[in-house]
Amino acid sequence: MLKRKNKLKQEKFDITANVIVLFFAILSLFPLYWLVTSSFKNSAAVVKMPPDWFPKTFNFQNYIDVFSNQPALKWAMNSVIVSLVATVALIIVSSLAAYAFSKLQFKGKNVIFIIFISSLMVPKEVMIVPLYRIVDQLGMVNSLHGMIWPNVATAFGVFLLKGFFDSIPDSLRESAKMDGASEFRTFFKIMLPIVKPGIGALFILYFVQVWNDYVWQLVIGQEEGVKTLMVGTATLMQDLNPNFAYKMAGATVAAIPMLVIFLFFQRYFTRGISIGAEKG
Amino acid sequence: MMRMKNNMHALKRNLTGYLFISPQLLFFMVFLVYPIFEGIRLSLYKINYGNMTFIGFDNYKALFQDEVFIKSAVNTVVFVICIVALTVVFALFVASAIFDKNAKYVSFIRGSYYIPVMVSMVVMSMIWSFLLNPSNGLIPFLARQMELPVVNFLGDKDLVLPVIIFVTFATNVGQAIILYIAAMIGVPRDIFEAAEVDGASRIRVIFKILIPLVKPTTIYIIIINIINVLKIFVVIQLLTGGGPNNASTTLMYFLYNNAFKYNQLGIASSVGVIMFAIAMVLSIPQLRAMFKTN
Repeated sequence: MLKRKNKLKQEKFDITANVIVLFFAILSLFPLYWLVTSSFKNSAAVVKMPPDWFPKTFNFQNYIDVFSNQPALKWAMNSVIVSLVATVALIIVSSLAAYAFSKLQFKGKNVIFIIFISSLMVPKEVMIVPLYRIVDQLGMVNSLHGMIWPNVATAFGVFLLKGFFDSIPDSLRESAKMDGASEFRTFFKIMLPIVKPGIGALFILYFVQVWNDYVWQLVIGQEEGVKTLMVGTATLMQDLNPNFAYKMAGATVAAIPMLVIFLFFQRYFTRGISIGAEKG
Repeated sequence: MMRMKNNMHALKRNLTGYLFISPQLLFFMVFLVYPIFEGIRLSLYKINYGNMTFIGFDNYKALFQDEVFIKSAVNTVVFVICIVALTVVFALFVASAIFDKNAKYVSFIRGSYYIPVMVSMVVMSMIWSFLLNPSNGLIPFLARQMELPVVNFLGDKDLVLPVIIFVTFATNVGQAIILYIAAMIGVPRDIFEAAEVDGASRIRVIFKILIPLVKPTTIYIIIINIINVLKIFVVIQLLTGGGPNNASTTLMYFLYNNAFKYNQLGIASSVGVIMFAIAMVLSIPQLRAMFKTN
């Protein structure tokens, strides 16, 4: 009897907790709902109070304005190039390094690895002044190169991929070498295909990270032609145009690529993000 | 002869290893290690366009007498403590409420909280700046309807910090939720079943079993959030510009302004070195935990 009463009480607690969780989940989507619906309103409707909770008319003019007044397509292209090249380059260099740290023996390996991993905790933004000077000396200010290459200098890829290489039995490498395969061939033909899920997770996570690398892109890309979507959209906020619907249309354009990526690759995120915590 | 062969072999082995890590190492040295040392060096100079004068620790001395810097440092600490605490507590609450439910429900909740993280701080700051706009934003409108004494939340020096804390927390908590859900789903079921047989209530199970078991995740979440909040910038730039009257300025915002607006590169470098030191000290527990498992 007592037990059953207890059970009932427990369920009540569980249900209350879940109602709260659900309520906040919907609330956390509300700003995005407001963003998208506002972007379809005209300049008068968007500031009308009390507001239309659902837009009365669907007005695409703001989107047309964003793409015709602003080089939004160019910004988006720049963002794609920067994120894609930085991510692919990181995958190439960090899979080589992660394989070496996991499977090869060489002098100083542990010390180098410790220095590598310690750097994970330092946001590159704190070194923005010296980094800017170096990038300037290399002639990469106001160029996409300046946004790309510093992003390859992270231990994040090694950190993420090493665990995947660690889980491959050493015997596999030994038998490949027995067959006379070179180290690089073993890495490329046998090991790399096995860690594909890790590379997938790294690709998605890092692509998004570079896409959203706002401060650095803001500093490097001051000229109109090299602005990225994030920097360009943020300048809309300071635009003289007082139409908020127009600004919200710009923000929606900046949000859509990431939303699409998330909806298609949800499982990679869940897996990739968890890797760091499991090791901790 | 044998020995020489062994040496040759070791040399070749070492060389192979170095060859594999060299591309990553090259980027690492040029864009990470070198900037750190260069940053420390620059922080000891007064830099005026092409002119550099060595001034020792004068930049640091100047900083600690600068009210705006002190304000930035205090604000950053307040942000770190409040946002990290809110994030851990709320994410634990959400994850422990849903982790043993139906998979579709879990993925819906996870997605709802994670989408703002994906959409980025830039876009979320733009939306919040619109929502909070005193003349035509939704939140001041609702505040007027409820006859609250303040409607311009970002223009009020006492309210601006809580608002920034809330916006940052709401935008970033999804990452912690994903991590906790993954960790909790990984806990073997029989532990809960045994507790249930013993008649332990759900709250007891959560506090006595679940939360202690996900402690490594908690440490990880605390560290990554400290590092993230330490460099908080976008939300300040787009929502308040550090105002009103520097009430919401942060270390990163202070650094950025000194470097790229006031052209005080020496001062900005010193701020960077201080932030670097803070980040290193704060991350020691995580690093220690990581190397224990390796």
